[in-house]
Amino acid sequence: MSSTYVGTLELAAGAVLLSSVMTLWRRGVGSLVSMLRLQGLALAVVAIDLGAHERDRALLVTGGLVLIVKGLVVPALLRRVARRDPGSRESNPRVNVPSSLVFAAALTVLSYVVGTRIAALAPGVATDLAPLGLATVLVGYFMLVTRRRAVSKIVGLLLVDNGIALMTFLLTSGVPLIVELGSTLDVLLVVVVLQFLMVSMGRHSRTERLTEMKALHD
Amino acid sequence: MGVTSWYAWASTLLQVAAVAVGGPLLMGLMAKVKARSEGRVGAPVVQPLRDLRKLLGKERLHARHSSVVLALAPMVILASTAMAVAISPLVSTRPLLSTSGDILVIVYLLLTGSAAAALGGLDVATAFGGMGASRAMTIGALAEPALLVAVIAMSIQSRTSNLGGIVSATLAHPDWVLGPSRLLALGALVIVVIAETGRIPVDNPATHLELTMIHEAMVLEYAGPELAVTSLGEAMRLGLLFSLVANLIVPWGIATRPTALALVAGVVFLGLKAAAVALGVALIEVRSAKLRLFRLPELLAGGFVLSVLAVVTGLVAR
Amino acid sequence: MAVLAILCVSVASTLVAASPWRPWTARVGVVASALILGLGVQLSVATTSAPQWALHHSLRADPLSSFMVVVIGAVSLLATAFTSRTMAQEMATGVTTARYARHYVVLMQVFITCMLVAVLTANLGVLWVSIEATTIATTFLVSHRRTDGAFEASWKYVILCSVGIALAFLGTVLVYYAQLHARGPSHPASLDWTAVMSVAHHLDPNVTRVAFALLVVGYGTKVGLVPMHSWLPDAHSQAPAPVSALMSGVLLSVAFYGLLRFRAVAVAALGPGFPRALLIVVGIVSILLATVMLIGQRDLKRMLAYSSIEHMGLLAIGAAVGSPLAIAAVLLHVLGHGITKAVLFLAVGEVSHVEGTTEISRITALLSRQPALGGIVGFGLLSLVALPPFSLFASELAMARAEVDAGLWWAVAITLGCLGIIFAALVRHARQTLMGARGDAPARALAPAPSPALTALLVGALGVCVALGLSSWPLQSLLLHAAHAVVP
Repeated sequence: MSSTYVGTLELAAGAVLLSSVMTLWRRGVGSLVSMLRLQGLALAVVAIDLGAHERDRALLVTGGLVLIVKGLVVPALLRRVARRDPGSRESNPRVNVPSSLVFAAALTVLSYVVGTRIAALAPGVATDLAPLGLATVLVGYFMLVTRRRAVSKIVGLLLVDNGIALMTFLLTSGVPLIVELGSTLDVLLVVVVLQFLMVSMGRHSRTERLTEMKALHD
Repeated sequence: MGVTSWYAWASTLLQVAAVAVGGPLLMGLMAKVKARSEGRVGAPVVQPLRDLRKLLGKERLHARHSSVVLALAPMVILASTAMAVAISPLVSTRPLLSTSGDILVIVYLLLTGSAAAALGGLDVATAFGGMGASRAMTIGALAEPALLVAVIAMSIQSRTSNLGGIVSATLAHPDWVLGPSRLLALGALVIVVIAETGRIPVDNPATHLELTMIHEAMVLEYAGPELAVTSLGEAMRLGLLFSLVANLIVPWGIATRPTALALVAGVVFLGLKAAAVALGVALIEVRSAKLRLFRLPELLAGGFVLSVLAVVTGLVAR
Repeated sequence: MAVLAILCVSVASTLVAASPWRPWTARVGVVASALILGLGVQLSVATTSAPQWALHHSLRADPLSSFMVVVIGAVSLLATAFTSRTMAQEMATGVTTARYARHYVVLMQVFITCMLVAVLTANLGVLWVSIEATTIATTFLVSHRRTDGAFEASWKYVILCSVGIALAFLGTVLVYYAQLHARGPSHPASLDWTAVMSVAHHLDPNVTRVAFALLVVGYGTKVGLVPMHSWLPDAHSQAPAPVSALMSGVLLSVAFYGLLRFRAVAVAALGPGFPRALLIVVGIVSILLATVMLIGQRDLKRMLAYSSIEHMGLLAIGAAVGSPLAIAAVLLHVLGHGITKAVLFLAVGEVSHVEGTTEISRITALLSRQPALGGIVGFGLLSLVALPPFSLFASELAMARAEVDAGLWWAVAITLGCLGIIFAALVRHARQTLMGARGDAPARALAPAPSPALTALLVGALGVCVALGLSSWPLQSLLLHAAHAVVP
C-alpha cells in the first residue's frame, strides 16, 4: 500500500467535504459553481486513485466519466445559468451563514458517528473515509432545505449526489458499472431538466426566485 | 541534567529575546510590504522599534478617574505574552517548562492578555474604550472555539496536546504536513491568527476611524511608556502566533539537539519562517477589504467549521 | 418469453409515438397498453409455477412483478385511452401545439416503459435507475401545460424526487456494500435480487439498518409518504389528467414495489422489528397528514392527491405487518386503488374541461347537469372511501384483520379513526359538487361530454373494482403467490 495512494485518497476525500462546506460559506453564484467544479475534480481523483490502486478498469472508466460530467459539463451548464443572472447572490437564506456553518459542523460530527458504524464492517483505508461522504450528503441536504435561490438548490442537489458517489467509491469501489453509468447520466439529465425549468420559469414570470413561487398551496 | 537545563534556559531566553525584537520587526515588515504593493515607499522595517524607543522616553500620563487597572493592564499584557513565548517551542523543541507547554496553557495565557487589554480599555470609561473592548471580546469569544478545536485536531494526530510534542511528532512524520486534517486545521489557525492579531479583514491596525477600529479603540487612552509596553505586548503576541503557525506548517529548522549551533540555526530559521508567514498575511491584507463587523461571525464560524472538519478527517484518516 | 415481449411492445410503441404528431399516434399507447395488460395476465399465470428469466438473467419475472405488470397495463390502458381526447381539447383551446402533443405522447410511452423495466428487472440497481428515469419523464409531463403553476409544480417535483431517489441510491449502495462483505458462504458480488436474497441472512445489521432507513425515506418520497410528500399534491393537480392518473395509480405503487423488495431483504437481515416500526410510523403519520389536509380541501384534484397519500400510508402499514395475507391484501389494494384513482383523475379531468375549474366551491349540481360524469365521480368516490362492494373495502378489511392478528390493534384504531374523518370529509366535498340546486350553476358546458366509449370504459373500470370486491377468487392464488415472492 503505497503512501501516495493513501495520501492522495485522503486529500481528495477531504477536498470533497471541504468544498461542500465552502458552498454554505460563499454567497455568490460564481463561487458556488467553482466549489462544485473543485468537488467534481476531487471526486474524479478519488475514483481514479482507487481504480489505479486496485487495477479496476471499470472504476477508472467511471473516474473518467465523473471527471467529464461532474468536473466539466455540469459546472459549465450551471455557469451558463448563472451568467443569465449576474451578481445574483443568496442574500437571504432561511438560516444565516454563521449558523449554517455551525450546523455543518454538527452534521459532520453526526456523520462521523453514523459513518464509522458503517465503515466498521470492513475496515480499510478507503472505507474509513466513508464518513466524509456522508457528511457531504448531509451538508447538501442542509443547503437544499435552507437556501432559497434556484441555483443554490441545484448545487445542494449535486452536493448530495457527489457525497453519495464518494461513499460509493470508498465503500464498494463502485457499484456495478451499469448502475454507475445510470446514476451519472441521471445527474446530467436532472441538471438539464432543472435548467429547462429555470429558463422556462424565468421566461414566464421574469424571476427565478423560489421565494416568490406561491401559486400552489393549500 | 546540567546540559539540559543550560539548554532549556538558553532556548527560553533566546526565544523571548527573538520574539521581543522580531515581533515589532514583523509588524514593520508587513507595513512595508503593504506600502510597496500600494506603490508607496513606506516606513523602514525597523520603524516600530524606533517608535517603542521614542515612547519609552516620554512621561507617564494617566487620564483623570482612571484606576490602578489602567496602570496594571500593560504589565499583565506583556508578562502573560512573554510567559507564553517562553514555554512555546519556537527556537527549540525543549524550552524551559516545556512539559507545561501544553497548548491549552498557551491559549489561556494569551487570553489573560486579551482580558487585561479589554479591562484597560474599559477603565477610563470613554466611549471608544468600551466599544473597542466589547468588539475585541466578541471576536475573541468567536475565535476561541475555532482555535481550541483546531488544536484538538492536531493533538489527535500526534496523540499529545503538548506543543513541543506536536512539533517533534511532525518532524518524525513529514507526510502529516500535507494530510487533509493538518491542512484544514491550519486553515482554521490562519483565520484565528488573523482575528487575534487584529489584521485585515477582521480589524485594520492602521485605522483610527471610529466606526471600524477595534484594537486601536481599546488602547486609545494609553500614552508614553505604557503605550510602549502595550504595543510591545501586542507585537510579541503577533510574533508568537506567526512563529507557532510557521512551526506547525514547516517544523524543520527548529533546534532538537542541545548544541549552540542548533540554537543559532533555530533562531535564524524561526526568523525566516515567521517572516514568510508575515509576508503571506500581508498579502491577504492587501488583497482583501475589511469585513463589516456583522460579517465577522461568518468568517470565524468558517474557521470553526474548518477545525471541526479537521478533527473528523483526522479521526477517519489513518 | 412474455417478459421480453412486454418490453418489446413498450419500446416499439415509444418509437412509433416518436413519429410526428398525427391523431392516430395518440392511439398507439392504447394498443400497447392493451397488449401489455394481456401479456401481463399471461405472465402472471405462467410465473405461478416458477420465475421466468430473459436476456441473460437481467430480466426476471416472479408473481409479484407480473402482478405489477398487470396493474401497470390496466391503469395505462385507462390513461392512454384519454390521450387523444385530452390532446384534441388542449389544441382546440391553444394550450398545446402539435410539437408538444408529440412530446407528450412519447413521454407517456417512455414513462410506462420505465415502470415496466422497474418491475421486470432482476437487478436492484437497475430498479433504482428506472425509477429515477420515471422522474425525468414525468417532470416534463407535469410541466406539459407550460403555465407558471405547472412549472412550479414540476420544479418542486424534480427537486424533491431527485433528492429522495438519491437517498434510495445510497441505501442501495449500502445494501451492495453489506452484500459484498456478508459473512457466510462465498457468493458473487452483485445487486441481483436472487443473489442479495441468498445472503440476506448474513448481511451486517448495522449497515442494513441504515440502508433500510434511507430506502424508506428515499423510495418513500416517490411513494408520497411523509416526510417528503409535498411534491405530490402540486404535481397531481398541475399535470394533465391522464398523467395524474398514471402517476397516482401506478407510479406510486411501483416505487412502493421497490420498498416491498427491500423490506424482504431488511427482514431477513434484521428480523421483523425494525422494518415494521419504521414503516408503521411513516404510514400512520402519512395518514394523519392526509386526514388533516382533506378536511378543508378546496380543490378536487388536490383532494384526490391527498387521498393518494392516505392510501399509500395504508399500504405502508399493511407492508409493516408483513404476513403473506397482509401483503396479498396490500397488492389487492394496489390494484383497486390504481383503477379507482385513475378513473377519478380522468373523470375530474373531464369535469375541469366541462366546468373550466376544479375548485370544489365553484362546481355544483354536477349530477343533474352531467349525469354520466357526475355518476362516475360519485361512484368513484364511494369506491375511494372503501365502501362495499368495491374492492378497496375488501383489501382494507383484510389488512385490518392482518394487523389485529399481528397485535397492532392500536394502529388499526388510529387508522379507522382517520378513515372515518376522511369519509366524512369526502362525502361533504362530494355533496357540494354533485348535488345542489341547478340554478346556481353556469348555464352551458364549456366542452362536450366525453364520448360514450370513454364513459363506458370508466364505468367498466369501476365495474372491475366491484367485481374484485365481490369475489377476488380469480386473483386469490395469484396474490398469495405474489406475496410469497417477498415473504419467506
